Amino acid sequence: MTWDKIIIGAGLYGLYAAKACGERGERVLVLEWEEAPFKRATYINQARVHMGYHYPRSYATAIKSAHYFNRFVKDYDFCIHSEFEQVYATSDSFSWTNREQFTQFCEAAEIPCEELYPEKYFKKGLCDGAFATREYTYDAAILGQFFMDSLEKCSNVEIKYGVRIKEIVKQSDVYEIILENGDTVQTGFLLNATYGSMNQILNLAGFEPFKIKYELCEIILCKPLNKLLNVGITVMDGPFFSIMPFGKTGQHSLTAVTFTPHVSSFDSLPVFHCQQRSGGYCTPQQLGNCNDCPAKPESAWPYMSSMARKYLREDYGFAYTGSLFSMKPILKASEVDDSRPTVIRKVSEKPTFVSVLSGKINTVYDLDEVLKND
Amino acid sequence: MIETQMNSVEINDKEKNFVSAVIYVYNDEERIQEFLLKINSVLSKNFENYQIICVNDASDDKSFEVIRAVAKTITGTVINVIKMSFYQGVELSMNAGIDISIGDFVFEFDNMVMDYDLNLIMEVYYQSLTGFDIVNAAPKKCERKTSRLFYKVFNRYSHSPHPLRTENFRVLSRRAINRVHSMSKTIPYRKAVYANCGLKIDTIEYDNDLSCTKAYNKETKHQRKEMAADSLILFTNVAYKMSLWAAVFMMAATFVIGIYTLVSYVTDQVISGYTSMMLVLVFGFFGVFAIFAVVIKYLSMLIDLVFSKQKYTIESVETMSE
Repeated sequence: MTWDKIIIGAGLYGLYAAKACGERGERVLVLEWEEAPFKRATYINQARVHMGYHYPRSYATAIKSAHYFNRFVKDYDFCIHSEFEQVYATSDSFSWTNREQFTQFCEAAEIPCEELYPEKYFKKGLCDGAFATREYTYDAAILGQFFMDSLEKCSNVEIKYGVRIKEIVKQSDVYEIILENGDTVQTGFLLNATYGSMNQILNLAGFEPFKIKYELCEIILCKPLNKLLNVGITVMDGPFFSIMPFGKTGQHSLTAVTFTPHVSSFDSLPVFHCQQRSGGYCTPQQLGNCNDCPAKPESAWPYMSSMARKYLREDYGFAYTGSLFSMKPILKASEVDDSRPTVIRKVSEKPTFVSVLSGKINTVYDLDEVLKND
Repeated sequence: MIETQMNSVEINDKEKNFVSAVIYVYNDEERIQEFLLKINSVLSKNFENYQIICVNDASDDKSFEVIRAVAKTITGTVINVIKMSFYQGVELSMNAGIDISIGDFVFEFDNMVMDYDLNLIMEVYYQSLTGFDIVNAAPKKCERKTSRLFYKVFNRYSHSPHPLRTENFRVLSRRAINRVHSMSKTIPYRKAVYANCGLKIDTIEYDNDLSCTKAYNKETKHQRKEMAADSLILFTNVAYKMSLWAAVFMMAATFVIGIYTLVSYVTDQVISGYTSMMLVLVFGFFGVFAIFAVVIKYLSMLIDLVFSKQKYTIESVETMSE
C-alpha cells in the first residue's frame, strides 16, 4: 500500500506532522512500536515549556526557545499549566553562571526576569541569586488526547500501534517498509521522528547515524508540600536540581543533573548492560520502553531528594510518589555550550527520508519547513 | 505463624542518614583502589544511602583511571569525581568536595593513609550522633617534628577553645558545614575554622600504625609551608605579637640613642659617636623592614580573601556507575 507520508514514532513530533499533513488532505500513516501514543520522550521529561532560561551559555538556543514559547502557549493553551511561580536560582558554588551573568543573559535574550531574595526559598549561603521567571509546564496526557481527537477527524490518517519494523528498503522512487507481520507499506516521504531510536531506524535504512550519546534518565514524581505547592524551582547552571509542576497532574517532577542520568552509552547504537537482563525486551537494535522494563534501574530518589533538601528551606517539602524512566539521546556537539539545537537531516530526496531530533517540546514548529510540499 | 511473619520482615538496621565521603586524591594510584574498596565496604554495610566523592587534584599519574575502574565494580551511582583544573592543594580541593556533597553527614579523608582500624570510621560517626557536630580521628603518635612545632606555636597563640593537632579524618554534620560557610566565604584552613565554629567538637584518639605514613613530595611540602604561614597569620596573633615586640624594642632603642645623642652633645664628643649612630640606623631600618614584611603578608592575604572571588577552579564533575 502506498502513502503520501509515513511517519515513524507517535510522539509529539510525529503526531504534529501527521496532523499538519492530514489536514492538508494527504494520506498519512503513523507507525508506532508502543500500544499507545506519547509513551516515551513526550511524556517522560520535565514537561517544561522552555522560554530559554536553561541555556545561559547558548544565546542561540535561548532566543529560539523564547520565540517559540508564545506560539506554543497560544496554540496549546488547554494543556498548559501557568498558575505557579517559576523560580530560577544560581548556586553559590559550582555554577558555571553567576547572579550577574544570569541577569545580563536574560536582558540580552529579552526574557522576563525579576530578582528575588534567595533566602525566601533556599538555605542560607547556598544560592547567590534567585529570579522570578515566566515559564510554564504542559500536560502530555491532555496534549496527546488533543492530537488523538484531531486525527480521528482525518479519515486519511491512520496510526498503527505495536508495529515491528523488519526492513526499510529504498526503491527507485519510494521507500518500502517491511513489517515483521509480513505487511509492506510504501511512501515517497518517510519521516523518522523516533527520538531515542533515531539511529536504530537510520541503521535499518542503511544511513549514517547521528553523533549522539545515550542516557538512561529518571524523572521522579513527587507530591509537593506546604509552600512548594505553587512553586517550581530550578537551581542552575551545573550539577544541581529542578523541582517543578508536572503538567496539570498536581504532582511535581524532580530531576538532578548528576543523578537523573543513570547510565550512559557512547556507542552509535545504544548498548547498555541492563539490556542483557531485560530478557530480549530491549536490544541495541530496538530499544524497549525503560519505564516498562524488568531491568530498569533502582530509583535515585535518595540522592535527588538529599540534594534538593540540601538547598531548599524546610517549608518547601515534597514526598515520593513514583519514578519514570526513559532513554535520552544527546548530540555530542552540544556538551560545551549546553545548547539543544533541533537537528533536521534530509538524507535522500525523491524518495525523501528526513530525520528530526529535538530535545524540546516547543521547537516542534521547526518541522513546518520540512513538511512543505514543493 | 509467628515464624513466617519474622521471615517476611527484612532485617534492615542500616543507618537512614545519607552520608557523603570526600576523599582527596593526589597521585595516589597505588593506594586508591584498596582505600576506595575499604571505604565502600564500610559505608555499604552500614548505610542505606551514601556517596563517595573523589577530588582529583590534577594528579599526573593514573589515579583517575584507577577510580574509574573501581567505580565499574561498585553497583549504583556511588562514586563521583571532581577534576580540579590544576593543582590547588588539599584545602581548596576538599572545600570543593564538601560544597558538592549532599549528605546529612560528611566524612573528610584528607589522605589515604589508613593507619587505623576500619571500625574507627563508624565509631567516629556514632560519636557524632551523640551530639557532636564535628568528630575528629587523631593518631596518638605524631612522627613529624615540623607538624608538632606548628601546632605548638598555633595553639599557644590562637586562643581557640579546641587546640589543634594532627588528625587523619573527621565527620561533619550538615549543620557544621552550614555554620562554617556562613562564618567565612573562603576557608583557607578548615581545621582552624572548624575549631572556632562554636559547635560541639570531639576527638577520638587511636593507636596508629607508624609504618604507613606517606612521604610528602616537594610540591605538597611547599604548599604545607605556605598554608602553615597563612594560618598562623590568620588564626593566631603570633605575627602581631612579634611585630609589636619589635616595634617596642626599637622604640626603646631609639629612646636610648636619643639620650646618648644628648649626652654626646653636652660633652662635645660628636665625632666619636658616628660609628654607633650608623649601627643604630642600620638596625632601625632592619626593624622597620621586618615590620613591613609582616604588613605586606597581611595585605596580600587580605587581597586574597577579599578580591579573589573564585574559591577554587574545577574542570568537571562526573558521576560514575557500573
